[in-house]
Amino acid sequence: MSSSYKSFSPSRIWALTMSTVTQLLRMRILVFLLVISVVVVGASFAFPTFNAAQQLKMLKDVCFGLEQLFAYVIAMVATALLLPKDVEDRTLYTILAKPVPRLDYLLGKLFGVLIVIGGGLVLLDIMLSGVLWIKQGYVLEDTLAGLHMQLGGTPPPEAIAAATADVEKQGLTWALHVGVLAIFLKASVLVSLTLLISCIATSTLFSVITSFCFFIMGHGETLFREYFFKGGTAWWQYLAAAVLAIFCPDLSLFDVVDAVTEGRAVLLTDALHMTGIGLLYTGGYMVVAYLLFVEKEL
Amino acid sequence: MSDTAVVIENLTKVFNRGVGHKLFTAVKDVSFSVKAGEVYGLIGPNGSGKSTTMKVLLGLLAPTHGKTSIFGMDSQLVESRRAVGFLPENPYFYKHLTGMETVLFFGKLCGMSGKKLHDQAKELLKLTGMEGAADRRLGGYSKGMLQRIGLAQALVHEPQLLVLDEPTAGVDPAGSRRIRDLILDCKARGITVLVTSHLLEQLQEVCDRIGIMSQGQMVSEGPIEDLISVENQTEFVLENATPELLQQIRDLVASKPGSGTLLSMGHPHTTLERMFLKVTEEDERLEATRTKT
Ligand SMILES: Nc1ncnc2c1ncn2[C@@H]1O[C@H](COP(=O)(O)OP(=O)(O)O)[C@@H](O)[C@H]1O
Ligand SMILES: [Mg+2]
Repeated sequence: MSSSYKSFSPSRIWALTMSTVTQLLRMRILVFLLVISVVVVGASFAFPTFNAAQQLKMLKDVCFGLEQLFAYVIAMVATALLLPKDVEDRTLYTILAKPVPRLDYLLGKLFGVLIVIGGGLVLLDIMLSGVLWIKQGYVLEDTLAGLHMQLGGTPPPEAIAAATADVEKQGLTWALHVGVLAIFLKASVLVSLTLLISCIATSTLFSVITSFCFFIMGHGETLFREYFFKGGTAWWQYLAAAVLAIFCPDLSLFDVVDAVTEGRAVLLTDALHMTGIGLLYTGGYMVVAYLLFVEKEL
Repeated sequence: MSDTAVVIENLTKVFNRGVGHKLFTAVKDVSFSVKAGEVYGLIGPNGSGKSTTMKVLLGLLAPTHGKTSIFGMDSQLVESRRAVGFLPENPYFYKHLTGMETVLFFGKLCGMSGKKLHDQAKELLKLTGMEGAADRRLGGYSKGMLQRIGLAQALVHEPQLLVLDEPTAGVDPAGSRRIRDLILDCKARGITVLVTSHLLEQLQEVCDRIGIMSQGQMVSEGPIEDLISVENQTEFVLENATPELLQQIRDLVASKPGSGTLLSMGHPHTTLERMFLKVTEEDERLEATRTKT
């Protein structure tokens, strides 16, 4: 026998991951990215009538909005298409008829989608950073020139420093990258949740809609909890909140994007906390997805 | 290694077709085994449960009752798949991959890599006659070509058992002839083959033993000669016989009542297939050169 069977094989998972990436790229995801890039560049020329800080904020708002659109649409729609496509093509039979554990197959799907989303976000992040950096320079120049005119002479150093700080706060900061990380983490929770759903769903549409419902509920969960439990501390309230959190991910945990676009700083501990929660949810959903998939009749 | 390649023991598979539907028994108490080195054919009309049996054997479906194993290892274990290559019914692989990439992809899934995998893939493409089309995308393949690339991917990890589900369905006679030759090739290399078909005549020349399924049950099983030979009839085929000779034979038989009856006389049915193969042989060669461009 030429091949010896290993129950865990990174190269096998990698082969499946790359095949998922190819599958996704063939869904014309690159075109989607290209359109977003064009809008990002276009947005950097827009809003000329606003003041400096507002212009930068608008640029960030537009870009982050697009990044989220990109990440969440792929996380829900493209993921929901993967399994049904393999069933329809019967490639699932051929793959699982090889010595391939079903867990490896699912992990290949997860990693493939995450690589595409992560890669897209990194590209967009690099682009936004570049555009923001350049724009920041122009806007600062304009502001200082404005000050100069207003005062009819060289502005005092305190005024220059204040204006510069103001622009820099709205410009390129580390917190922006944390914002992108938060988008990625939320997307990864959505991907694992959608994979889980598509293990039991009978149609792609059902997967997408269900996943979208969770997406909406996930954002309203904090509100829901506050409304029903009113901050109570009885044991059943804790229990109910815990059950709810397991059933539906609390997606508002990843909502640092607003803070980030407003120019507020994000603490490193917050970023770590968020990463931990993201990994926990993704891992948990993958375990459930695996348990469902292993029982699945093909 | 056990000398029985496949054991199917009292296999029953019941499908739950969803709420509001009755349970459906697709396979009912089927048992058979395939000895190492033989070619076993599973024959039966569409819907008789052949594919379902194969899927349970490959661990794609869980049996409702009973057990299946490959070389003594339970089918539900992923590891049992190491020894088996499978060609599913109507295979469609990733259309965007070329023939070569397809074989390489499945090889990687079996833990193969590097030059060894490349050499193996090249050899299999040659064996299945797909070298000419190796760099073309599967989207443009004909049905027969897909079946042959399917066979190449099934053989990539050098399995000792080959499971083929309807490999000749929808393939033209020349392609079907080729697939049957490949089955015999595999047999010669010592590979056990389990093959299904809804057409008996396609399998009769390659199978050592056959089982006939109907409505989820095994209705007949045994060595092929026992099942198909009609003991009290004799057939002889003449070439270039003159009408006079044929008339003499007829007269001779008629003159000896009690020693035999002439049931039929005419051209053998296989001539049409032979003719087809003969005239398309030329096409095949042209096709091979055409696909190289
Ligand atoms: N997943 C399934 N769910 C419900 N019924 C099924 C399923 N798969 C097959 N069947 C039914 O089981 C029967 C046997 O199918 P199959 O094994 O594919 O037959 P064959 O391969 O001999 O043509 C058919 O009537 C088919 O409709
Ligand atoms: Mg079938």
